[in-house]
Amino acid sequence: MLAVSPLRTTKDERQDEMESFENGGGDDFPDFSCGNLLDSIDFDDLFVGINDEDVLPDLEMDPEILAEFSLSGGEESEITTTSTSNEKMEENSAKEEVDKANYSGPDASSGSTLTQTDDMVTSKRDESVAANPSAKEADKARKSSTQSKANPQGKRKVKVDWTPELHRRFVQAVEQLGVDKAVPSRILEIMGIDCLTRHNIASHLQKYRSHRKHLLAREAEAANWTQRRQMYGGAAAPAAAGGKREMNHWIAPTMGFPPMAPMPHFRPLHVWGHPSVDQSLMPVWPKHLGPSPPPPPVTWAPAAPAHPPTPPPDPCFWHSHHARVPNSLTPGTPCFPPHLAPTRFPTPPVPGIPPPALYKVDPGIAVPTAPAGQPVPQPPIDFHPSKESIDAAIGDVLSKPWQPLPLGLKPPSVDSVLVELHRQGISRIPPTACV
Amino acid sequence: MADSSSPREYIHLIQHLIEECILFHMSKEECMEALFKHANIKPVITATVWKELEKENKEFFQAYTKDREERASETETRQRIQKKMLSHSSAAKDTGEDD
Repeated sequence: MLAVSPLRTTKDERQDEMESFENGGGDDFPDFSCGNLLDSIDFDDLFVGINDEDVLPDLEMDPEILAEFSLSGGEESEITTTSTSNEKMEENSAKEEVDKANYSGPDASSGSTLTQTDDMVTSKRDESVAANPSAKEADKARKSSTQSKANPQGKRKVKVDWTPELHRRFVQAVEQLGVDKAVPSRILEIMGIDCLTRHNIASHLQKYRSHRKHLLAREAEAANWTQRRQMYGGAAAPAAAGGKREMNHWIAPTMGFPPMAPMPHFRPLHVWGHPSVDQSLMPVWPKHLGPSPPPPPVTWAPAAPAHPPTPPPDPCFWHSHHARVPNSLTPGTPCFPPHLAPTRFPTPPVPGIPPPALYKVDPGIAVPTAPAGQPVPQPPIDFHPSKESIDAAIGDVLSKPWQPLPLGLKPPSVDSVLVELHRQGISRIPPTACV
Repeated sequence: MADSSSPREYIHLIQHLIEECILFHMSKEECMEALFKHANIKPVITATVWKELEKENKEFFQAYTKDREERASETETRQRIQKKMLSHSSAAKDTGEDD
């Protein structure tokens, strides 16, 4: 019914959006949608406050309106643009600005774009409030009428508490249907929960899709972080070797969260991770989010190299995120420098040095069978790597000291070292006399 | 390498070198020797930095030490097996000679 028609495929949505924007954005956009959108959507908390009933106008409304809504399921900025441009059909300059923000790269720098857009949205909203008070009132009136219209049966819209369990079932249902094909009524059927209305599902679905797009868009950026993560991750490696729990801690995918310090400012778009991903993945829930993100997004690392930039099949995307979680052997696991095997610590990563044990033993074993009666040279099972390789490695460090530490051990306190050296009779380092 | 680097940088360099040695599963002594031979670093300095690193990364070094010990015993076992094989083989070659 109503729920079905507006929900087109992603591609179509995008196309439509583009078209409508190019047309000046005015034609297909009834006033109703824009006003309500702005009123009802609190952009700052788009994913935080789950006001399902407020995000969408009632489904019983015009399918056209819904069409626009599902379109805007794509990105915040798009929603913004839609609504903003509507309200400001008169104010072209404003629209242009928003359009620019919109087009400046929904995929690439969505983080900054969003921020930018959000700020602009806020200011736009303010402007619009000031500029079109009458319009707003009219909208408000419409909104209230909408809401009353929304409950033809007199049912109140109950606020849905999207618990992890509920969300998990939702995701399951969506995946079962296919994200693009997932239709609220079908989802509802699959979930089989009485207290959910199609409306609840639809708005939740919108958020879900929107966030997924963000995540996909961010993966590219995350690929950059992988590099840094590995460096920082190296610091955790040795500790992790001793304490497995710490290792798990790092592996725990905090999807969507940028790594710690050197970060571009990400809007705290919340992680709509699959709840079954990891126990420690508490911050999945929008409600619980807000304060600084917990452990770094290890997920990015595995996700980035493995996933092509284009959105992979939807179920796979979500599944593989958490499928990777327990797997500590993911090649991209940032816990360890790329060349260190996470299992056995420490394994010599230097390519020329396979585990010496293997190397030495084989020739050793072969020897006895060869020359008969000859004194078999004692097989060099000393496990000591060749002098050449050590020399090479050391030389490498000396010539390129700026390279990252292979293990990233916690550095000792300089003072402590100096004091100790003093005790040993070394007054200054680096020593002037080298021998 | 004389005055160009500050003590901090120098220590960082030593740490880097030590870490490389650890990748080779070296002991502290082996590391001291290697750094001295290949990088002209006074063993006492290497030792000091190593000890300090150990203090800061206790868990790591515990695991490392344990790992080395395991490897050492593994080596020993292998050597024993080797010897046995050698002796068996020579016994096989020289018929009549019992081991």
